[in-house]
Amino acid sequence: MTDDPDDRMLRLNAALDGELDALSALEFERELAADPALAAEYRRAEALRQAIRRSAPLEAAPPALVDRVAALAAPAARSAHVLQARPSGWTASHPLALAASMAAIGFAVGVGLMSLRTQSAGEGVAQTLVSDFARAEIADQPFDVASSDRHTIKPWLGGRTTVSADIVDLASQGFPLAGGRVAVVDRIPAPTLVYRHHEHLVALTELPRDARGAHAGGGIEAVDGYHVARWSDANLAYVAVSDMDEKTLAEFVAAFREARKPAAEETR
Amino acid sequence: MTGPAPGSVAAQRFRALVPPLLDDAYTLAKWLCRNSADAEDIVQEAALRALLALETTSVERPKAWFLAIVRNAAITWMTRNRPTDVAYAGDSTDLDALDPRLGEAAPDPEAALIALEDGARLRQAIAALPAPLRETLVLRDVNGLSYRDIAEATGAPIGTVMSRLARARGGLARILKAEP
Repeated sequence: MTDDPDDRMLRLNAALDGELDALSALEFERELAADPALAAEYRRAEALRQAIRRSAPLEAAPPALVDRVAALAAPAARSAHVLQARPSGWTASHPLALAASMAAIGFAVGVGLMSLRTQSAGEGVAQTLVSDFARAEIADQPFDVASSDRHTIKPWLGGRTTVSADIVDLASQGFPLAGGRVAVVDRIPAPTLVYRHHEHLVALTELPRDARGAHAGGGIEAVDGYHVARWSDANLAYVAVSDMDEKTLAEFVAAFREARKPAAEETR
Repeated sequence: MTGPAPGSVAAQRFRALVPPLLDDAYTLAKWLCRNSADAEDIVQEAALRALLALETTSVERPKAWFLAIVRNAAITWMTRNRPTDVAYAGDSTDLDALDPRLGEAAPDPEAALIALEDGARLRQAIAALPAPLRETLVLRDVNGLSYRDIAEATGAPIGTVMSRLARARGGLARILKAEP
Protein backbone atom coordinates (compact mmCIF):
# COMPACT_ATOMS: atom_id res chain seq x y z
CA MET A 1 0.00 0.00 0.00
CA THR A 2 1.22 3.43 -0.80
CA ASP A 3 -0.12 5.12 2.28
CA ASP A 4 3.34 5.96 3.42
CA PRO A 5 5.51 5.76 0.32
CA ASP A 6 9.04 4.91 1.18
CA ASP A 7 11.94 7.21 0.79
CA ARG A 8 12.87 5.59 -2.47
CA MET A 9 9.62 6.56 -4.16
CA LEU A 10 9.83 10.09 -2.80
CA ARG A 11 13.31 10.46 -4.19
CA LEU A 12 12.34 8.92 -7.49
CA ASN A 13 9.52 11.42 -7.87
CA ALA A 14 11.70 14.31 -6.80
CA ALA A 15 14.29 13.23 -9.37
CA LEU A 16 11.62 13.07 -12.03
CA ASP A 17 10.50 16.59 -11.15
CA GLY A 18 14.01 17.99 -11.14
CA GLU A 19 13.68 18.81 -7.45
CA LEU A 20 16.81 17.07 -6.23
CA ASP A 21 19.83 19.19 -5.48
CA ALA A 22 22.90 18.52 -7.59
CA LEU A 23 24.56 16.09 -5.21
CA SER A 24 21.43 14.07 -4.57
CA ALA A 25 20.74 13.99 -8.30
CA LEU A 26 24.21 12.63 -8.91
CA GLU A 27 23.74 9.98 -6.27
CA PHE A 28 20.36 9.06 -7.71
CA GLU A 29 21.79 8.69 -11.19
CA ARG A 30 24.38 6.27 -9.81
CA GLU A 31 21.68 4.24 -8.11
CA LEU A 32 19.67 4.28 -11.30
CA ALA A 33 22.62 2.87 -13.22
CA ALA A 34 23.24 0.18 -10.62
CA ASP A 35 19.68 -0.89 -9.97
CA PRO A 36 17.67 -2.15 -12.97
CA ALA A 37 14.49 -2.40 -10.92
CA LEU A 38 14.77 1.24 -9.90
CA ALA A 39 15.53 2.19 -13.49
CA ALA A 40 12.43 0.36 -14.69
CA GLU A 41 10.37 2.08 -12.01
CA TYR A 42 11.76 5.41 -13.14
CA ARG A 43 10.88 4.74 -16.78
CA ARG A 44 7.34 3.83 -15.78
CA ALA A 45 7.00 6.99 -13.73
CA GLU A 46 8.28 9.00 -16.67
CA ALA A 47 5.81 7.34 -19.04
CA LEU A 48 2.99 8.01 -16.63
CA ARG A 49 3.90 11.65 -16.32
CA GLN A 50 3.99 12.01 -20.09
CA ALA A 51 0.62 10.33 -20.34
CA ILE A 52 -0.75 12.74 -17.74
CA ARG A 53 0.56 15.71 -19.66
CA ARG A 54 -0.94 14.39 -22.87
CA SER A 55 -4.27 13.49 -21.36
CA ALA A 56 -4.66 16.48 -19.11
CA PRO A 57 -3.30 19.43 -21.05
CA LEU A 58 -3.89 23.05 -20.16
CA GLU A 59 -7.29 24.10 -21.37
CA ALA A 60 -7.95 27.50 -22.84
CA ALA A 61 -10.11 29.63 -20.61
CA PRO A 62 -13.42 30.31 -22.37
CA PRO A 63 -13.41 33.69 -24.16
CA ALA A 64 -16.39 34.86 -22.13
CA LEU A 65 -14.45 34.25 -18.93
CA VAL A 66 -11.41 36.03 -20.32
CA ASP A 67 -13.61 39.00 -21.15
CA ARG A 68 -15.24 39.09 -17.75
CA VAL A 69 -11.89 38.96 -15.98
CA ALA A 70 -10.47 41.67 -18.22
CA ALA A 71 -13.50 43.77 -17.43
CA LEU A 72 -12.74 43.61 -13.70
CA ALA A 73 -9.85 46.01 -14.16
CA ALA A 74 -10.66 47.40 -17.56
CA PRO A 75 -9.66 50.97 -18.15
CA ALA A 76 -12.43 51.49 -20.68
CA ALA A 77 -16.17 51.19 -20.90
CA ARG A 78 -16.37 47.42 -20.82
CA SER A 79 -16.81 47.26 -17.09
CA ALA A 80 -20.50 47.98 -16.97
CA HIS A 81 -21.43 44.46 -17.90
CA VAL A 82 -18.79 42.77 -15.78
CA LEU A 83 -20.91 40.43 -13.82
CA GLN A 84 -24.04 40.25 -15.85
CA ALA A 85 -22.79 37.71 -18.31
CA ARG A 86 -23.19 34.67 -16.14
CA PRO A 87 -25.51 34.97 -13.20
CA SER A 88 -24.43 32.45 -10.63
CA GLY A 89 -24.07 31.56 -7.01
CA TRP A 90 -21.30 34.06 -6.57
CA THR A 91 -22.78 37.08 -8.14
CA ALA A 92 -26.06 37.02 -6.31
CA SER A 93 -24.95 37.47 -2.76
CA HIS A 94 -21.21 37.48 -2.49
CA PRO A 95 -19.73 40.61 -0.89
CA LEU A 96 -16.77 40.62 -3.24
CA ALA A 97 -19.08 40.37 -6.21
CA LEU A 98 -21.04 43.29 -4.81
CA ALA A 99 -17.83 45.22 -4.48
CA ALA A 100 -17.04 44.47 -8.07
CA SER A 101 -20.46 45.56 -9.22
CA MET A 102 -19.97 48.80 -7.39
CA ALA A 103 -16.54 49.13 -8.87
CA ALA A 104 -18.02 48.45 -12.24
CA ILE A 105 -20.53 51.21 -11.77
CA GLY A 106 -17.70 53.45 -10.63
CA PHE A 107 -15.74 52.56 -13.73
CA ALA A 108 -18.71 53.17 -15.96
CA VAL A 109 -19.38 56.58 -14.45
CA GLY A 110 -15.72 57.52 -14.59
CA VAL A 111 -15.45 56.38 -18.13
CA GLY A 112 -18.56 58.26 -19.05
CA LEU A 113 -16.87 61.43 -17.85
CA MET A 114 -13.54 60.63 -19.40
CA SER A 115 -14.72 59.72 -22.80
CA LEU A 116 -17.89 58.97 -24.63
CA ARG A 117 -16.40 56.48 -27.00
CA THR A 118 -18.30 53.27 -27.27
CA GLN A 119 -16.58 49.94 -27.02
CA SER A 120 -15.67 48.48 -30.36
CA ALA A 121 -13.74 45.49 -31.56
CA GLY A 122 -10.93 47.87 -32.45
CA GLU A 123 -10.56 49.01 -28.89
CA GLY A 124 -10.42 45.39 -27.86
CA VAL A 125 -7.45 44.79 -30.10
CA ALA A 126 -5.73 47.99 -29.02
CA GLN A 127 -6.39 47.13 -25.39
CA THR A 128 -4.99 43.65 -25.82
CA LEU A 129 -1.83 44.95 -27.41
CA VAL A 130 -1.43 47.75 -24.89
CA SER A 131 -1.73 45.21 -22.07
CA ASP A 132 0.85 43.11 -23.85
CA PHE A 133 3.14 46.08 -24.09
CA ALA A 134 2.68 47.00 -20.44
CA ARG A 135 3.25 43.42 -19.36
CA ALA A 136 6.39 43.15 -21.46
CA GLU A 137 7.67 46.34 -19.88
CA ILE A 138 6.95 45.16 -16.37
CA ALA A 139 8.46 41.77 -17.07
CA ASP A 140 11.62 43.60 -18.03
CA GLN A 141 11.71 41.47 -21.13
CA PRO A 142 10.10 43.30 -23.99
CA PHE A 143 10.72 40.51 -26.47
CA ASP A 144 10.99 36.75 -26.61
CA VAL A 145 13.84 36.78 -29.04
CA ALA A 146 16.35 39.58 -28.60
CA SER A 147 18.16 40.43 -31.76
CA SER A 148 18.85 43.35 -34.01
CA ASP A 149 19.26 40.94 -36.89
CA ARG A 150 16.15 40.54 -38.95
CA HIS A 151 17.48 37.26 -40.30
CA THR A 152 17.38 35.88 -36.77
CA ILE A 153 13.96 37.22 -35.95
CA LYS A 154 12.18 36.24 -39.12
CA PRO A 155 12.57 32.47 -38.83
CA TRP A 156 11.82 32.63 -35.12
CA LEU A 157 8.53 34.41 -35.74
CA GLY A 158 7.82 32.36 -38.83
CA GLY A 159 7.82 29.21 -36.78
CA ARG A 160 5.26 30.57 -34.36
CA THR A 161 2.82 32.70 -36.27
CA THR A 162 0.72 32.53 -39.39
CA VAL A 163 1.11 36.06 -40.66
CA SER A 164 4.45 36.29 -42.38
CA ALA A 165 6.40 39.11 -40.89
CA ASP A 166 8.31 41.07 -43.44
CA ILE A 167 10.98 42.58 -41.29
CA VAL A 168 12.43 45.98 -41.98
CA ASP A 169 15.26 47.52 -40.07
CA LEU A 170 14.82 51.18 -39.25
CA ALA A 171 18.15 51.79 -37.53
CA SER A 172 19.10 54.52 -39.96
CA GLN A 173 15.85 56.33 -39.18
CA GLY A 174 16.58 56.17 -35.45
CA PHE A 175 14.53 53.07 -34.63
CA PRO A 176 16.88 50.07 -34.42
CA LEU A 177 15.30 46.66 -34.25
CA ALA A 178 15.50 45.24 -30.73
CA GLY A 179 13.70 41.93 -30.96
CA GLY A 180 10.52 40.06 -31.65
CA ARG A 181 7.75 38.39 -29.74
CA VAL A 182 4.39 36.86 -30.34
CA ALA A 183 1.24 38.71 -29.36
CA VAL A 184 -2.04 36.88 -29.18
CA VAL A 185 -4.97 38.73 -30.70
CA ASP A 186 -8.33 37.05 -30.74
CA ARG A 187 -6.49 33.90 -29.76
CA ILE A 188 -4.39 34.00 -32.92
CA PRO A 189 -0.63 34.43 -32.57
CA ALA A 190 0.55 37.56 -34.33
CA PRO A 191 4.17 38.47 -35.01
CA THR A 192 5.33 41.53 -33.12
CA LEU A 193 8.51 43.44 -33.81
CA VAL A 194 10.02 45.56 -31.11
CA TYR A 195 11.98 48.65 -32.09
CA ARG A 196 13.96 50.90 -29.81
CA HIS A 197 14.15 54.65 -29.80
CA HIS A 198 16.50 55.93 -27.10
CA GLU A 199 14.99 54.59 -23.89
CA HIS A 200 11.59 54.02 -25.47
CA LEU A 201 10.16 51.02 -27.23
CA VAL A 202 7.59 50.55 -29.91
CA ALA A 203 5.93 47.19 -30.51
CA LEU A 204 4.60 46.68 -33.99
CA THR A 205 2.09 43.85 -34.41
CA GLU A 206 1.11 42.57 -37.83
CA LEU A 207 -2.38 41.23 -38.30
CA PRO A 208 -4.28 39.76 -41.19
CA ARG A 209 -6.01 42.53 -43.10
CA ASP A 210 -9.39 41.17 -42.15
CA ALA A 211 -8.58 40.96 -38.42
CA ARG A 212 -11.44 42.24 -36.35
CA GLY A 213 -10.85 45.83 -35.30
CA ALA A 214 -7.42 46.06 -36.85
CA HIS A 215 -8.08 49.36 -38.58
CA ALA A 216 -9.13 52.55 -36.95
CA GLY A 217 -8.87 55.53 -39.17
CA GLY A 218 -5.10 55.66 -39.30
CA GLY A 219 -4.70 58.16 -36.48
CA ILE A 220 -2.88 57.87 -33.19
CA GLU A 221 -4.90 57.38 -30.06
CA ALA A 222 -4.03 57.20 -26.38
CA VAL A 223 -4.92 54.01 -24.58
CA ASP A 224 -4.11 53.59 -20.95
CA GLY A 225 -1.22 56.01 -21.08
CA TYR A 226 0.31 54.51 -24.20
CA HIS A 227 0.03 55.64 -27.79
CA VAL A 228 -1.46 53.35 -30.38
CA ALA A 229 -1.30 53.77 -34.14
CA ARG A 230 -3.27 51.61 -36.53
CA TRP A 231 -3.07 51.42 -40.29
CA SER A 232 -3.00 48.92 -43.09
CA ASP A 233 -1.52 48.32 -46.50
CA ALA A 234 -2.60 46.05 -49.32
CA ASN A 235 -1.65 42.90 -47.45
CA LEU A 236 -1.63 43.42 -43.73
CA ALA A 237 -3.00 45.51 -40.93
CA TYR A 238 -0.62 47.01 -38.36
CA VAL A 239 -0.94 48.10 -34.78
CA ALA A 240 1.95 49.96 -33.16
CA VAL A 241 1.97 50.44 -29.39
CA SER A 242 4.54 52.66 -27.77
CA ASP A 243 5.50 54.64 -24.73
CA MET A 244 6.92 57.29 -27.06
CA ASP A 245 5.12 60.57 -27.50
CA GLU A 246 2.61 60.95 -30.26
CA LYS A 247 4.91 62.87 -32.57
CA THR A 248 7.74 60.33 -32.35
CA LEU A 249 5.35 57.46 -32.90
CA ALA A 250 4.04 59.23 -35.99
CA GLU A 251 7.63 59.50 -37.22
CA PHE A 252 8.12 55.80 -36.61
CA VAL A 253 4.95 54.94 -38.51
CA ALA A 254 6.02 57.12 -41.42
CA ALA A 255 9.48 55.51 -41.47
CA PHE A 256 8.00 52.05 -41.33
CA ARG A 257 5.52 52.69 -44.10
CA GLU A 258 8.22 54.24 -46.23
CA ALA A 259 10.43 51.18 -45.73
CA ARG A 260 7.60 48.93 -46.71
CA LYS A 261 6.80 51.05 -49.74
CA PRO A 262 7.28 48.38 -52.46
CA ALA A 263 4.18 46.65 -51.20
CA ALA A 264 1.51 48.87 -52.75
CA GLU A 265 0.08 51.04 -50.04
CA GLU A 266 -3.52 51.61 -49.43
CA THR A 267 -4.68 53.67 -46.54
CA ARG A 268 -7.87 53.20 -44.73
CA MET B 1 -16.22 49.54 -0.44
CA THR B 2 -15.05 50.24 -3.93
CA GLY B 3 -12.69 48.33 -6.14
CA PRO B 4 -9.43 49.76 -7.35
CA ALA B 5 -9.80 52.59 -9.83
CA PRO B 6 -9.12 51.53 -13.38
CA GLY B 7 -5.95 53.58 -13.61
CA SER B 8 -4.67 52.50 -10.22
CA VAL B 9 -1.54 50.50 -9.61
CA ALA B 10 -3.65 47.49 -8.61
CA ALA B 11 -5.59 47.57 -11.87
CA GLN B 12 -2.39 47.97 -13.87
CA ARG B 13 -0.69 45.11 -12.08
CA PHE B 14 -3.81 43.03 -12.54
CA ARG B 15 -3.93 43.64 -16.27
CA ALA B 16 -0.29 42.69 -16.55
CA LEU B 17 -0.35 39.60 -14.34
CA VAL B 18 -3.69 37.87 -14.42
CA PRO B 19 -4.84 37.50 -18.04
CA PRO B 20 -1.83 35.37 -19.06
CA LEU B 21 -2.61 32.97 -16.22
CA LEU B 22 -6.24 32.33 -17.03
CA ASP B 23 -5.70 29.07 -18.91
CA ASP B 24 -3.75 27.70 -15.96
CA ALA B 25 -6.35 28.97 -13.54
CA TYR B 26 -9.28 27.61 -15.48
CA THR B 27 -7.69 24.20 -15.96
CA LEU B 28 -6.84 23.96 -12.27
CA ALA B 29 -10.32 25.05 -11.20
CA LYS B 30 -11.87 22.55 -13.54
CA TRP B 31 -9.82 19.72 -12.09
CA LEU B 32 -10.67 20.79 -8.57
CA CYS B 33 -14.43 21.14 -9.00
CA ARG B 34 -14.80 18.82 -12.00
CA ASN B 35 -17.27 21.05 -13.79
CA SER B 36 -16.55 23.72 -16.39
CA ALA B 37 -19.33 26.16 -15.53
CA ASP B 38 -18.34 26.11 -11.86
CA ALA B 39 -14.71 26.48 -12.87
CA GLU B 40 -15.59 29.73 -14.63
CA ASP B 41 -17.25 31.06 -11.51
CA ILE B 42 -14.31 30.05 -9.38
CA VAL B 43 -11.77 31.72 -11.66
CA GLN B 44 -13.82 34.89 -11.83
CA GLU B 45 -14.05 34.96 -8.05
CA ALA B 46 -10.32 34.32 -7.79
CA ALA B 47 -9.63 37.14 -10.22
CA LEU B 48 -11.67 39.46 -8.07
CA ARG B 49 -9.78 38.44 -4.95
CA ALA B 50 -6.53 38.91 -6.83
CA LEU B 51 -7.51 42.40 -7.93
CA LEU B 52 -8.35 43.41 -4.38
CA ALA B 53 -5.17 41.80 -3.04
CA LEU B 54 -3.04 43.67 -5.55
CA GLU B 55 -3.93 46.94 -3.85
CA THR B 56 -1.68 46.01 -0.98
CA THR B 57 0.49 43.22 -2.35
CA SER B 58 3.20 43.08 -4.91
CA VAL B 59 3.81 39.69 -6.36
CA GLU B 60 7.06 37.88 -6.95
CA ARG B 61 5.90 34.65 -8.49
CA PRO B 62 2.61 35.48 -10.18
CA LYS B 63 1.67 31.97 -11.23
CA ALA B 64 2.10 30.39 -7.81
CA TRP B 65 0.38 33.36 -6.25
CA PHE B 66 -2.66 33.36 -8.52
CA LEU B 67 -3.08 29.60 -8.55
CA ALA B 68 -3.04 29.63 -4.75
CA ILE B 69 -5.92 32.11 -4.87
CA VAL B 70 -7.75 29.94 -7.39
CA ARG B 71 -7.24 26.90 -5.20
CA ASN B 72 -8.58 28.68 -2.15
CA ALA B 73 -11.52 30.07 -4.10
CA ALA B 74 -12.28 26.54 -5.28
CA ILE B 75 -12.29 25.23 -1.74
CA THR B 76 -14.53 28.03 -0.53
CA TRP B 77 -16.81 27.38 -3.44
CA MET B 78 -16.93 23.65 -2.84
CA THR B 79 -17.54 24.09 0.85
CA ARG B 80 -20.41 26.41 0.14
CA ASN B 81 -22.01 24.65 -2.78
CA ARG B 82 -21.07 21.01 -2.46
CA PRO B 83 -20.25 20.38 1.18
CA THR B 84 -20.58 16.61 0.79
CA ASP B 85 -18.04 16.55 -2.00
CA VAL B 86 -15.22 18.24 -0.17
CA ALA B 87 -12.44 16.07 1.04
CA TYR B 88 -9.93 18.72 1.94
CA ALA B 89 -10.09 17.94 5.62
CA GLY B 90 -6.77 16.18 5.63
CA ASP B 91 -4.87 13.23 4.38
CA SER B 92 -7.24 10.62 5.73
CA THR B 93 -8.75 9.77 2.37
CA ASP B 94 -7.35 6.56 1.07
CA LEU B 95 -6.58 5.38 -2.40
CA ASP B 96 -8.37 2.17 -1.55
CA ALA B 97 -11.55 4.17 -1.55
CA LEU B 98 -11.20 4.77 -5.28
CA ASP B 99 -13.86 3.40 -7.54
CA PRO B 100 -12.84 -0.23 -7.97
CA ARG B 101 -14.09 -0.32 -11.55
CA LEU B 102 -11.18 1.92 -12.47
CA GLY B 103 -8.83 -0.91 -11.62
CA GLU B 104 -10.24 -3.52 -13.96
CA ALA B 105 -8.94 -4.78 -17.29
CA ALA B 106 -5.43 -4.51 -18.71
CA PRO B 107 -4.23 -7.95 -17.68
CA ASP B 108 -0.89 -7.93 -19.51
CA PRO B 109 1.96 -5.46 -19.99
CA GLU B 110 0.99 -4.61 -23.52
CA ALA B 111 -2.51 -3.76 -22.44
CA ALA B 112 -1.08 -1.68 -19.66
CA LEU B 113 0.82 0.29 -22.24
CA ILE B 114 -2.35 0.84 -24.22
CA ALA B 115 -4.09 1.82 -21.04
CA LEU B 116 -1.48 4.52 -20.57
CA GLU B 117 -2.43 5.85 -23.97
CA ASP B 118 -6.06 5.91 -23.05
CA GLY B 119 -6.51 9.56 -22.15
CA ALA B 120 -10.12 9.27 -21.10
CA ARG B 121 -9.33 6.54 -18.63
CA LEU B 122 -6.43 8.46 -17.19
CA ARG B 123 -8.51 11.61 -16.84
CA GLN B 124 -11.16 9.62 -15.07
CA ALA B 125 -8.56 8.20 -12.73
CA ILE B 126 -7.19 11.67 -11.93
CA ALA B 127 -10.69 12.96 -11.30
CA ALA B 128 -11.25 10.07 -8.91
CA LEU B 129 -8.19 10.87 -6.79
CA PRO B 130 -8.88 12.23 -3.31
CA ALA B 131 -8.85 16.03 -3.42
CA PRO B 132 -5.50 16.65 -1.67
CA LEU B 133 -3.74 14.21 -3.98
CA ARG B 134 -5.53 15.51 -7.05
CA GLU B 135 -4.72 19.16 -6.42
CA THR B 136 -1.08 18.34 -5.75
CA LEU B 137 -0.81 16.27 -8.92
CA VAL B 138 -2.54 18.88 -11.08
CA LEU B 139 -0.49 21.78 -9.67
CA ARG B 140 2.66 19.81 -10.47
CA ASP B 141 1.99 17.97 -13.71
CA VAL B 142 -0.59 20.21 -15.36
CA ASN B 143 0.33 23.65 -14.04
CA GLY B 144 4.02 22.90 -13.64
CA LEU B 145 4.55 24.46 -10.21
CA SER B 146 7.65 23.62 -8.17
CA TYR B 147 7.34 21.70 -4.90
CA ARG B 148 7.97 24.92 -3.03
CA ASP B 149 5.19 26.73 -4.86
CA ILE B 150 2.78 23.85 -4.33
CA ALA B 151 3.61 23.82 -0.63
CA GLU B 152 2.85 27.52 -0.47
CA ALA B 153 -0.33 27.25 -2.51
CA THR B 154 -1.76 24.36 -0.52
CA GLY B 155 -0.42 25.34 2.87
CA ALA B 156 1.22 21.94 3.28
CA PRO B 157 4.82 21.24 4.25
CA ILE B 158 7.08 20.18 1.40
CA GLY B 159 7.32 16.66 2.81
CA THR B 160 3.56 16.34 2.59
CA VAL B 161 3.59 17.66 -0.98
CA MET B 162 6.18 15.02 -1.87
CA SER B 163 4.28 12.18 -0.29
CA ARG B 164 0.98 13.28 -1.83
CA LEU B 165 2.58 13.45 -5.22
CA ALA B 166 4.14 10.02 -4.86
CA ARG B 167 0.84 8.60 -3.67
CA ALA B 168 -1.13 10.25 -6.46
CA ARG B 169 1.23 8.96 -9.13
CA GLY B 170 1.47 5.57 -7.48
CA GLY B 171 -2.31 5.39 -7.38
CA LEU B 172 -2.65 6.31 -11.05
CA ALA B 173 0.02 3.83 -12.04
CA ARG B 174 -1.73 1.08 -10.14
CA ILE B 175 -5.08 1.93 -11.61
CA LEU B 176 -3.69 1.99 -15.11
CA LYS B 177 -1.70 -1.18 -14.68
CA ALA B 178 -4.62 -2.70 -12.83
CA GLU B 179 -2.45 -4.49 -10.36
CA PRO B 180 -4.56 -6.39 -7.89
